[in-house]
Amino acid sequence: MVARGPATPDDLAADPLVFRQTNRWGDAWQQLKRNRLALASTVFLSALTLVAIISMFWTPYPVYKQQVAGTYEGLSMSHPLGADQAGRDLLSRLMVGARISLEVGVGTQLLVGGFGIAIGLLAGYYRGWLDSVISTLINVFYGIPDLLVALILVLLLGRGLDKIILAIAITRWMDMARLVRGQTLSLREREFILAAVSIGTTPKGIILRHILPNALGPIIVQATFGVPAAILFEGFLSFLGLGVQPPTPSWGSMAADGFQAIRLAPHIVMAPALALSLTLMAFNFLGDGLRDALDPSQRR
Amino acid sequence: MLTPGTLVYLGQRLALLAFTAIAVSSLVFLGVHQLPGNAFLSDRRIDPNALAALLHHYRLDLPLLEQYRLFVVGILHGDLGESLVNRGVEITPLLLREATVSAEVGAAALVVTIGLGMLLGVVAAVRHNTVVDYLATTTSVVGFSMPNFVIASLLVVVFAVWLYNATSGAFYYELGWHGTYGNVGQIPVPAFALGFPYASIVARLTRASMLDVIRQDYVRTARAKGLPERLVITRHALRNALVPVVSVLGPLVVGIITGSVVIENIFGIPGLGKEFVTSILNRDYNIVIGIFTVYAVLIGLANLLVDMLYTVIDPRIRY
Repeated sequence: MVARGPATPDDLAADPLVFRQTNRWGDAWQQLKRNRLALASTVFLSALTLVAIISMFWTPYPVYKQQVAGTYEGLSMSHPLGADQAGRDLLSRLMVGARISLEVGVGTQLLVGGFGIAIGLLAGYYRGWLDSVISTLINVFYGIPDLLVALILVLLLGRGLDKIILAIAITRWMDMARLVRGQTLSLREREFILAAVSIGTTPKGIILRHILPNALGPIIVQATFGVPAAILFEGFLSFLGLGVQPPTPSWGSMAADGFQAIRLAPHIVMAPALALSLTLMAFNFLGDGLRDALDPSQRR
Repeated sequence: MLTPGTLVYLGQRLALLAFTAIAVSSLVFLGVHQLPGNAFLSDRRIDPNALAALLHHYRLDLPLLEQYRLFVVGILHGDLGESLVNRGVEITPLLLREATVSAEVGAAALVVTIGLGMLLGVVAAVRHNTVVDYLATTTSVVGFSMPNFVIASLLVVVFAVWLYNATSGAFYYELGWHGTYGNVGQIPVPAFALGFPYASIVARLTRASMLDVIRQDYVRTARAKGLPERLVITRHALRNALVPVVSVLGPLVVGIITGSVVIENIFGIPGLGKEFVTSILNRDYNIVIGIFTVYAVLIGLANLLVDMLYTVIDPRIRY
């Protein structure tokens, strides 16, 4: 008979009756991996981010240089996506456009996250008059249509990329604030918060160490859905000529340029339009996947 | 349905609406007057005397507070002032005419949104977990992820460019609007582009609530007493499945109104949305202020109408 020492991790892994230790994030990752659409979206978005980073150092042709190809030139080996009305290489411009879109999407969500999470936590934790003021503010902002507010803000602030990000953030912070407020309201009644209070944790410690980490799942899901909304918004503004100003290539303004020549060269409008749709779709699928993985209350 | 309580509620809502409209236009008025430059300064070089005369004509030489007072008095009389760029053009009748054009396209888009959305949703729910369901669900995810100008571009490429080439110009969608109200053949394409993204939302909601309702006991009862399946779905299930859909109608209508800003510019439809962008680009601030006011009223009315619709769909709700 072979003497056996205490079970090693290898033994445990081999034993189907012993559950593997997982934490919340590992669990979520397992969930997400099973969702093929979300996984494909992750791959697509990673590739897009990579392209956006590469475009800062290298593009196949100079982005702003005109007549690197023939005007309205179609697809070819040397210009895979053809050229636009000024003979600029479309692939190069599309790459930079990816960077602009991601900057708008992520930048907006950073602002929205910073502001929305902060005032959501404050309103939910302290309640009382502070909550009334913040909730009223949220409802007032919900009452006014976002595209119109963004347009007037762009009019007032000017049309740089940073101002567009600010304008979109100002019209879109309410979802995040409302979500965090709701999460905080329900979390603060839980026993572990009572325990933390009883051992003398300060309100700051409770909010930052106990409430925020537990609300992080829904926050990430909300931010993931916020990114495509912001990108779509920038697309609208730029398509109308009120967003990122030429010659900076934004997908929206490229589509608007292409639309002028839609009979002659449909590829100019199709390239940015498809890039935009695929990106939005990927973010939406990823958001769906993350919601199923991170936010069990919403699981269908 | 029209109880005294409802009338009081209606009165309150209308008062709130008037207040919102004045608040919105005041904010825009004050904001716009902080902007550097005006419609005249950005133009060619202009004779100082002529400029002074223009500023006087538009009362822009008065102190801001006095200008504001005159502006509010004007609004209360339904007078939004005069265009800065096209002198002599009164803004109120101009915007009212353009609002009817927008309403025409918007109503058509709403038909697409509700009709197509409910159709996709019901079909997906009735054929739950079949190929039809997957097709309908995928269609709605795709529609939801495509900006309306992308859908519009695709439609134009297919119906205006490809169809033109395929039929050698015999049959195609003609880009460019005829007259003020276009003609019947021109409305479907912009209406579809405007309504389809929201149809996807309606489809998702209808499917979810239909799946919920179809399992209820009273639907089984309806089947048990021998009603044809078509009647069970349309008379019994759909009516209750509609409640959640009606609850998003308000945001949907607002979405269609803001979406029309983009669609009208693409298809050259002379409605409010096109005027809005044109006036911003022209710095015709009087029109910008006017359009914001009209939008605030339209959106308020749309929301009010939807809230009233609740009571029709769900008689348990009273105001």
